[in-house]
Amino acid sequence: MKPVDFSYLNAMNLEQAENALAGQSCSIVSGNQSLGPMMNLRLARPGVLLDVSRVEELRRAEETDTEVRFGAAVTHAEIEDGTVPDPTGGWMRAAASNIAHRAVRNRGTIGGSLCHADPAADWVTVLPALSAQISIAGPDGVRKVDAIDFVVGPYATVLAPGEIVVSVAVPKPSAAARWGYWKFVRQVGEFSKASAAILDDPDTGRSRVIVGALGRQPLLIDKPDDVIAGRIDGKAALSHALPDMPACAVRMHAVAIDRAIEQMAGSPE
Amino acid sequence: MQTDVEFLLNGKKVTGAAEPRTHLADFIREDALASGTHIGCEQGVCGACTVFVDGRPTRSCITLAAACNGADIRTVEGFDTDPLMEAIRDSFKRHHGLQCGFCTPGMLTTAYDIIRRIPDADRETIRKELSGNLCRCTGYAGIVDAIEDVLKEAPAAALQPTERPRSAISATSAAPKAAEISDSKQAPSPETVIVADMALPAADSFETATVLRKTMHLSAGPEEAWRLISSPEAIVSCIPGATLSGPVTNGIANGACNVSAGPIKAQFRGTASITYLPETKSGQLLGRGKDGLSRSGLEGRLDFQLVPNDNASDINLEMRYRLNGPLSQFGRPALVEEIANGLLADIAQAIDATLSGNDATAGRTQPQRSLSGFRLLFNAFKGLIRRTLSTR
Repeated sequence: MKPVDFSYLNAMNLEQAENALAGQSCSIVSGNQSLGPMMNLRLARPGVLLDVSRVEELRRAEETDTEVRFGAAVTHAEIEDGTVPDPTGGWMRAAASNIAHRAVRNRGTIGGSLCHADPAADWVTVLPALSAQISIAGPDGVRKVDAIDFVVGPYATVLAPGEIVVSVAVPKPSAAARWGYWKFVRQVGEFSKASAAILDDPDTGRSRVIVGALGRQPLLIDKPDDVIAGRIDGKAALSHALPDMPACAVRMHAVAIDRAIEQMAGSPE
Repeated sequence: MQTDVEFLLNGKKVTGAAEPRTHLADFIREDALASGTHIGCEQGVCGACTVFVDGRPTRSCITLAAACNGADIRTVEGFDTDPLMEAIRDSFKRHHGLQCGFCTPGMLTTAYDIIRRIPDADRETIRKELSGNLCRCTGYAGIVDAIEDVLKEAPAAALQPTERPRSAISATSAAPKAAEISDSKQAPSPETVIVADMALPAADSFETATVLRKTMHLSAGPEEAWRLISSPEAIVSCIPGATLSGPVTNGIANGACNVSAGPIKAQFRGTASITYLPETKSGQLLGRGKDGLSRSGLEGRLDFQLVPNDNASDINLEMRYRLNGPLSQFGRPALVEEIANGLLADIAQAIDATLSGNDATAGRTQPQRSLSGFRLLFNAFKGLIRRTLSTR
């Protein structure tokens, strides 16, 4: 089908984007790879579309000694190809390379995927596990939100009207850090049915176990060190966190945790 | 409203005016009259429409033409003298990599990209990279063989990814000033079509449907809660987004329910019936609704029973539902359940507020609610519930 008609604004820099957002309510779009299908199916009917895919400030990635700050409109393919620096020495590249299909990765962006907030999306799970921080520009200036607090439910984020995600800062893990990210998909490119991302980084104290694709926002598991060391098994951790979770879902996500731990154990540092 | 579009198509400048909603595939085919690009699913799944935008394979059905101002676009027609594409075409022919040819433009584009980007790709890698392009007749073996064959001795790829120069953006696509923005078109108003009564689904037709079971806690006792629940109009007022289109007659209600979850917005219109069993404080709601713009449908059955819980009460809900049309593609069970939880919490809060005489909207404290992220199916269900409840 064809989308319902809408107005289209195209910003080339952040000021233009912010002016447009101040003027009226807009749906912000970059690659259009998630919103596009919904619009074509007429499930999404934005009145005004603000295209930020070419906004200069959002297209940069900046590396410092401690982190890499990705502009929100950096594409998955640019991360996959190493066109922009990877603060994790390859983990983000690997995660990016398994998002949907290459043609989608060429247009889809890290910020767009986060803001779309599909619970099964890769960055929605991976970025909280890496303790990423999201910078949001709004009428009152820039505020920062931890990635784990950014998505608050299916397709729902902390973004208020008039706000736009500017960048995603991912801290560099320590040299001894280990990583595992496993997702259950029955065919390449589909949304995952269960996923887990695990960072084991005792030197920085940023060890984390995140469970994704739950239908809700990503779940931060308590006592990650105990889960990583096997003192608490995945099923117990999940049942403790979400007591109402159906048994089959617990099992599927517990397997995701186990596989991510196995992957981490087998991966060279 | 039209927007100017200007880009290079296979080396030649193309200009034209298009509605903002026109996607690149339509513009290439209908305005630039280059019909080599095929449109299959038109939702970014099948890959038939894949073309090169600035040297990168792109799904032209979910890329807006207006977003391609200043771009360098190459379609299957633009490779006549490209040695690598020549080798790929020849190899597809030899390996029977096509039959009806519908997927072929997208396959050739993706094949070119695989060979250029991953010169040491093995069969498994080729298959993984090809997974975004669907073929319904030859199967993939011939296509994989064809690509593998070219990889043995591939000519250099003439087409490489490029960064679109910002200066190439035509003036027409510059961001508008605030004054222009305020003149922009508003969101389209909902359909004004009055929907005739829809036939209700059979109560026993949901045996294989998805089931959700929930218990909502109400602070009122069962007698008091039942008085509200057994009044269709009262219960409808506790369901956010739902309205009745007229009085409830013969146990049948017609109405509408606005639903939103993130970018998804829908307005379900439909019909429901409700049956009450006062002696057990239970009942059943049956309903069916349709969102006209997306042609998505929802039908469901809700069985409910009120039980005492100390001085308060619990309402046990068992919902069975079927989604059809485009919405079903986004209705993954885990998502629906989460959306339902949010919605039910809202309804329970509204019931409590109504019974205690407060404004039904005053007590809402959950941050998720203010984002209205959870209305999707449950609004529809609310709609059904209201309607059912109102149809005694």
